Amino acid sequence: MSGEAKGGTRASPPAEPSSAPVHLRPAREGDLAAILPLLLRLKRLNEEFDPLLKVRDDAEQQARQILKADIGNPKAIVLAAEGVGADRDKVVGFVRAHIRERAFYSPEHEGVILDIYLLPLYRRRGVGEFVLREITNALKAKGAGIVTAEFPAQNEIAGRFYTKRGFRPITAVQARSL
Amino acid sequence: MARSASSPVEPDPPGRKNTRRRSTAAERSEDQTDLLGERSVELSRFYGGKIETVPKVPVRSLEDFALWYTPGVAAVSRAIQADPERAFELTGRWNTIAIVTDGSRVLGLGEIGPEAALPVMEGKALLFKVLGGVDAIPVPIRVKSPEEFIATVEAMAPAFGGINLEDIASPKCFGILEKLSKRLSIPVWHDDQLGTAAATVAGLLNALELTHRSVHGVRTVLLGAGAANLVTARLLLALGHPAHQLTLVDQKGILHAEREDLDELELRNPWKYRIALTTNGGGRTGDLKAALEGADVLLAASTPKPDTVRPEHVRAMAKDPIVFALANPMPEIWPEVAHEAGAAIVATGRSDFPNQVNNSLIFPAVFRGVLDARARSIPDEVVLAAAKELARGAALKGLSARHLLPTMEESEVFPQIAAAVGDTAVRLGIARRKLSHDEFLERARTLMGRPAQLVRALARARLTPPMPRAGPRRRRTG
Repeated sequence: MSGEAKGGTRASPPAEPSSAPVHLRPAREGDLAAILPLLLRLKRLNEEFDPLLKVRDDAEQQARQILKADIGNPKAIVLAAEGVGADRDKVVGFVRAHIRERAFYSPEHEGVILDIYLLPLYRRRGVGEFVLREITNALKAKGAGIVTAEFPAQNEIAGRFYTKRGFRPITAVQARSL
Repeated sequence: MARSASSPVEPDPPGRKNTRRRSTAAERSEDQTDLLGERSVELSRFYGGKIETVPKVPVRSLEDFALWYTPGVAAVSRAIQADPERAFELTGRWNTIAIVTDGSRVLGLGEIGPEAALPVMEGKALLFKVLGGVDAIPVPIRVKSPEEFIATVEAMAPAFGGINLEDIASPKCFGILEKLSKRLSIPVWHDDQLGTAAATVAGLLNALELTHRSVHGVRTVLLGAGAANLVTARLLLALGHPAHQLTLVDQKGILHAEREDLDELELRNPWKYRIALTTNGGGRTGDLKAALEGADVLLAASTPKPDTVRPEHVRAMAKDPIVFALANPMPEIWPEVAHEAGAAIVATGRSDFPNQVNNSLIFPAVFRGVLDARARSIPDEVVLAAAKELARGAALKGLSARHLLPTMEESEVFPQIAAAVGDTAVRLGIARRKLSHDEFLERARTLMGRPAQLVRALARARLTPPMPRAGPRRRRTG
């Protein structure tokens, strides 16, 4: 993967018809309105996997604050995925990640992928892989020596996506309601 | 596509006043259904069900059992053990299918359980025998999951030459059919998907012909995204219908790639999800009205509720629109209302209106064909061959706005469909037995004609008692 050009890179997935590649660039405050519904879609999807991931009534407000904070935070990365062609200026997906300190383990800086969402028409065709590669590079550039991804334990599609790309479970989080 | 200035087809003569006619049809239908229901219970009790097994070999004395059963039968078993395919020749497997249901979506009754589904499956078995000459065994099963359903059918498959899945809720029916088709080496069919879709496509092909349209150029709206319409959409795409001119609509409106529930669909109903991506709403978003704006064709297979489609919906369509209102027993719009709103051609699922889209026109002949070819599966090419032959059957008798499809009485078309199915199975290389077209046709005529003779003979010999007279009619009050 070549480096960034004009703050963005373009997916050129091989083999499969590449009618829907995306363009990735750092998200700006002006993207909030476009990314917000995508973030909510992702959280609502998580709810499908587990009732313990029930989306709060004020989730939209929360999401707005969190996105706003992350966009200006040097310890966070939010990239917006734009379509090409007719969808050129349309945000069709995003990825959000944090840099976390690991108190006991090394490497001590962990890049945590918190959310990846792409609209259905922009899935497959290697777009997810492209986004993963780009966010990994960006996290590495911020000093991360390990990259992790968080998603619902029941989300087998996500599980397979990461496993295929060399990830494996390192920490388990189990829950029960009180 | 050239379209004549005047309507190419004559609509029905305007009926009596709209509202009056509408309530009459609804009342008539409800009244009729009650009456038939009472009688059906009465007769079911009298006859103790609808089907039984009958020996097909002579039994001259008890000694013949040494041939039909042990010790003679052991040699037949050994022959099949040596070559399992011989089961199709040495047992009734060649002509026997199972009608399997979990009772999860029976008729319009919903999830009524396997016991309550049995009379419906018996009825289906009767249709299979009388119309197709197929020995069908009703097998309602009590299972908890699609996996258990699949494992159960897999376990019983050695006894059968084919499997007819019946009355299984959508969307689990898609996965069950897909997996069983892959795992079994006998044809598997789900009538609510394939039968209804094939009959719909057949009717549509003739409606397009009548209105001088082509499947390659029309804009089509499918209302309802259940078992039948998702397959109809798939078949239309296979016929060359442009994906961007196909719009599916369900309770949530136009099904498009950015609809809020798409992520959920990807998990729960990947078949609907895929069609959402393929068609992407035909480039539209919004409600049924938005979908129908300028559309040539409406294929409605939704929940039975009249006025789901309203006259203004039909008026919003292109000139000489084609309207299929297939919900049963209440079509989404009454035919006379659709005609008055400008529909050139209207079809329903009911036998008391012209143009009944009826899966009984398809499934007996399809099974006749695949059983005679001893086919290993039923790919979409076979389904389309059946649909096209059914359409051709109606055209041979002369197409009109009131004669889009053969009626059940025009039975000469059924062996033709069976032969077309057999031919296609041979062409696709999935036939264990490769007969010529004429051989398939001859065989189908013989086997499909035999049950009527049998029924008559049994009645003549009083082995089937005549129907008892109906009891005093209990009128509903209020």
